[in-house]
Amino acid sequence: MWWIIALAVLAIIPFVSPPSLVYLLGLTFIFVVFVVSWDLIAGYAGQINLGHTVFIGIGAYTTALLQTGKIGLPIWATILIGGLTATAFGFLIGAICLRLRGYYLALVTAILPLICIQILNVYSEIFGGYEGIPLGLDKALAKDPIAEYYIALAFMLACIVAITLLIRSPLGIKLKAIREDEELAEAIGIDVVRYKLIAFCLSAFFAGLAGGVMAHYRITVGPDLFDVPLMLTIILAAVIGGLGTIYGPIIGAFTIYLAKTYVFARIVQMLSLNVSDEIFLYILLIVVILKCPEGIFPKLRRLIA
Amino acid sequence: MRLLPVLLILAIAPVNAGVIKIGVIGPMETKYGTAMVNAVKLAAEEINRKGGILGNKIEVVVADTKLDANTATSEFRRLAVDEGCKVIIGGFSSGVALAMMNVMAETKVLWLGDASSPRLTDLVSKDYDHYKYYFRVLTMNASTFPLDMIDMLDFLRSEGMKIKRVAIIRDNALWTEDVMKKFRPLLEKHGYEIVMDEKVGRGQSDFSSFLLKAKERADVIVPILAHVSGVPLIKQWADMGIGIPIAGHDLAAIDPDYWNATDGKCLGEIYIADGGAVPSPINDKMKHFLEAYKAKYGHLPEAFSAYGCYDAVYLYKKAVEMAAKAGKDPFDPDVLVKYLEKFNRSHPFEGVRGKIAFTKNHDLVWGDGFIRNWVCQWQDGRQVVVYPKYMATGKLMIPHQKKKTPGFELVTALAGLLLATAVRRKS
Amino acid sequence: MLEILIYGIIIGSIWTLVSSGFSLVFGVARILNFAHGTFFVLCAYIAILLFPYLGYLSVIPAVIFTGLFGWIVYRFLVSPVRDYEVMVILITLALALLVEEILLAVFKDVSKSFPSPVSGVVFVAGVPVPMNRLLILGVAIAVTICLEYFMSRTKMGKFITATSQDPEASMLVGIDVERVYSVTMVVSAMLAGIAGILYAQIYSVNPATSLRVLIYAFAIVILGGLGSVRGSIVASYIIGFIQVAISMLFDPRWAEIAALLTIIAVLIVRPKGLFGVE
Repeated sequence: MWWIIALAVLAIIPFVSPPSLVYLLGLTFIFVVFVVSWDLIAGYAGQINLGHTVFIGIGAYTTALLQTGKIGLPIWATILIGGLTATAFGFLIGAICLRLRGYYLALVTAILPLICIQILNVYSEIFGGYEGIPLGLDKALAKDPIAEYYIALAFMLACIVAITLLIRSPLGIKLKAIREDEELAEAIGIDVVRYKLIAFCLSAFFAGLAGGVMAHYRITVGPDLFDVPLMLTIILAAVIGGLGTIYGPIIGAFTIYLAKTYVFARIVQMLSLNVSDEIFLYILLIVVILKCPEGIFPKLRRLIA
Repeated sequence: MRLLPVLLILAIAPVNAGVIKIGVIGPMETKYGTAMVNAVKLAAEEINRKGGILGNKIEVVVADTKLDANTATSEFRRLAVDEGCKVIIGGFSSGVALAMMNVMAETKVLWLGDASSPRLTDLVSKDYDHYKYYFRVLTMNASTFPLDMIDMLDFLRSEGMKIKRVAIIRDNALWTEDVMKKFRPLLEKHGYEIVMDEKVGRGQSDFSSFLLKAKERADVIVPILAHVSGVPLIKQWADMGIGIPIAGHDLAAIDPDYWNATDGKCLGEIYIADGGAVPSPINDKMKHFLEAYKAKYGHLPEAFSAYGCYDAVYLYKKAVEMAAKAGKDPFDPDVLVKYLEKFNRSHPFEGVRGKIAFTKNHDLVWGDGFIRNWVCQWQDGRQVVVYPKYMATGKLMIPHQKKKTPGFELVTALAGLLLATAVRRKS
Repeated sequence: MLEILIYGIIIGSIWTLVSSGFSLVFGVARILNFAHGTFFVLCAYIAILLFPYLGYLSVIPAVIFTGLFGWIVYRFLVSPVRDYEVMVILITLALALLVEEILLAVFKDVSKSFPSPVSGVVFVAGVPVPMNRLLILGVAIAVTICLEYFMSRTKMGKFITATSQDPEASMLVGIDVERVYSVTMVVSAMLAGIAGILYAQIYSVNPATSLRVLIYAFAIVILGGLGSVRGSIVASYIIGFIQVAISMLFDPRWAEIAALLTIIAVLIVRPKGLFGVE
């Protein structure tokens, strides 16, 4: 029931709200996929990957480079290639890093995005350095911003449905078993490393796709897609919503992204503070970690029940 | 006589009375951004005091690019769509500006911009219908920087400096790639030799390896820096006693506070003032601008961008008034583009930096009399224009090679001894 | 070659101060402090800010304040979530970015340097070595000796060593472990702060420096072995040489990638580092 109302509201919004909110909502839909795909590995498989932005960035840069090159492929083909490239990297990184635990996994994955950003800078002739690569107007998802909005909405829904199905499948149940107790899972015959790796690749695939869609939605790619602030925003959204629940990260992603880009930005402008709106985000993250590390929405639900 | 403009205002005012919003977009964490805002606000205040543009008061709306294409495009969109700005002034960083060009084309808003890559104005000529709203008012096309820099090197040579081998230190950014494309063959043609070409990223503060390399191999260090601050480069150049001169395009050096920021270590640095921006009263308009700026903010313009932004507001006002006088809708961007294009080589606009005229693809006309980059030098706390001759406010000071100071090797030996004992203690 | 040696030793000395504190905190309290670079930058900024009023004495309040800030970070942010490794990483990372944004808002994106008390250049076999870099060598050695003295001769130092070896046993013999952790954090912050001032004296700092410094600190402590102070001192010089050598022979932009790859390579091949401790 709630889903239907929410969908109806999202379907009507372009006709009743200012254009910039429509644009931001489109970005938010893609951001939701970032968060849900991270939750797949962090919330369901229990592997804290702090380098999720690597997959987003690889997806985005792959399609951007293919489109600015002389290959006349349609946009969606290169987005898919971006997703597959991200999966390949996910497999490589996963195969090496998933043996590491706790600190070490977090540490290595936290460093990967920094390496990517440095490589973008060193080979700035190819990747455009810190200025990024602008795509032409003709590479946009659609000519019309409202059409772009609906495409992003459809993309988000498709990804959510796919990930929900995955989680409810036998694969998802095995992943949950691994998260709860790795040794027990091994004892009952689950190939822990293999399933972790599958989860890692799936997570990378969806992130890569979303990165590619993002590139064509805003017709520009830049190192911000790899960078630590985006990673922290993803984590904050997932943590606020509650890890390991599908609805939680979705609500969290909407809340955080709109708060960051719409509410915080407007507060900053209204008070004419000369600060970045990200300041609020970091304060919020610190408060959330200190006060309710298990998530705000699960807590609220428990309070109501 | 004074009645005429009033009548004109009355004729149009009923339709458009109220407020004209002017957007300023730039990297607000840097001096370049704050200078843009200050200059536009100053011009707006002056114009409002005299009745505004066709009776409309100017309101300034500020947006921050954070030097990041994503933020820049969404902020540009906010100015154009949500705020309904009639014109957007500013920019900075060619890569970021290139991303904003697409939003401009989509939202059809006039942009009097910055950023020097030729690719921006190439778009104007390639796809005029979409990109015609961009006019590069703040700075020159990067393809003209090499002309200025080669002039500068030739001038230094003619003053008796022995220059042949050139060491380049430049931003790792789009615009320097475009500069180098033209600068490289030009240097060869004029008999120079590039012995080092290094790129530095934002936030780089250790220049010692470049400086050592340059000292060994080159006669002159040519920085081509806008995004990276030149302050640490100059500090280390002086501290390390590098001895060979620095002469190039260092945006930070235009700031009047540069002398204090470098503790006076910039003594002798030669640089070209981007887009004719130098706090030196070269004409009456410039004189007025510098005085008004100082009166309002307590200091001279802190960056090159102030000059162009101040010009841009007046340029916009003039174009709007011309359109209104001709009976066209002065707030239709397509109409305004036509009127801005009327400022060409034979009918230039008089700005603070000199004559503003546009080429066919909306670049500033380069050349003597028009806007070009002056060669300046820091001498005892003052910025002195040394070239071209008709602009010069002083003579070039030729830096002399520092003498080596031996005898200090004793100190090094002592330090080494200390280190050795410390290491032994630890193990 | 000689250039690399001299400049490597100097930059290595700065890294020594940064990494020994970082390593100490991990070794004693098992805290992976992503805000370590923040101490470095913050201290430099305070010293620069106070310089017009206090002259070179501004170093003292700056270092003291940084120590205090270290205590605040431990007491109010890290201590409550100390049992969750990943939460410690997240909260210190968020803090680092928060401070970076605040510094950016206050000081703008401008590189600032601390005026050096000495000037002049020394030529060592033709290599110019500025006096202000030699000064760093002296200060770094003096501070390291002080640290060594503190750790081996004072009661608190012995408590710290004991806690790092076995926190539970230390608690049993009546050591106030929480207090030991706070002191360690303060010492670590002050060391990073001193390094920050030294760095700002020859180069310059800007708000983004903190993440850059953090990367090098990571590379060093992981190479030297997480938690081993001596290992990190040796690794500091190794990384210093690598950094300078790459800058001189190839391109400084590769120096950071080299540091980052060192981290990953060591973690994967030999997770305990070169001088691994448990």
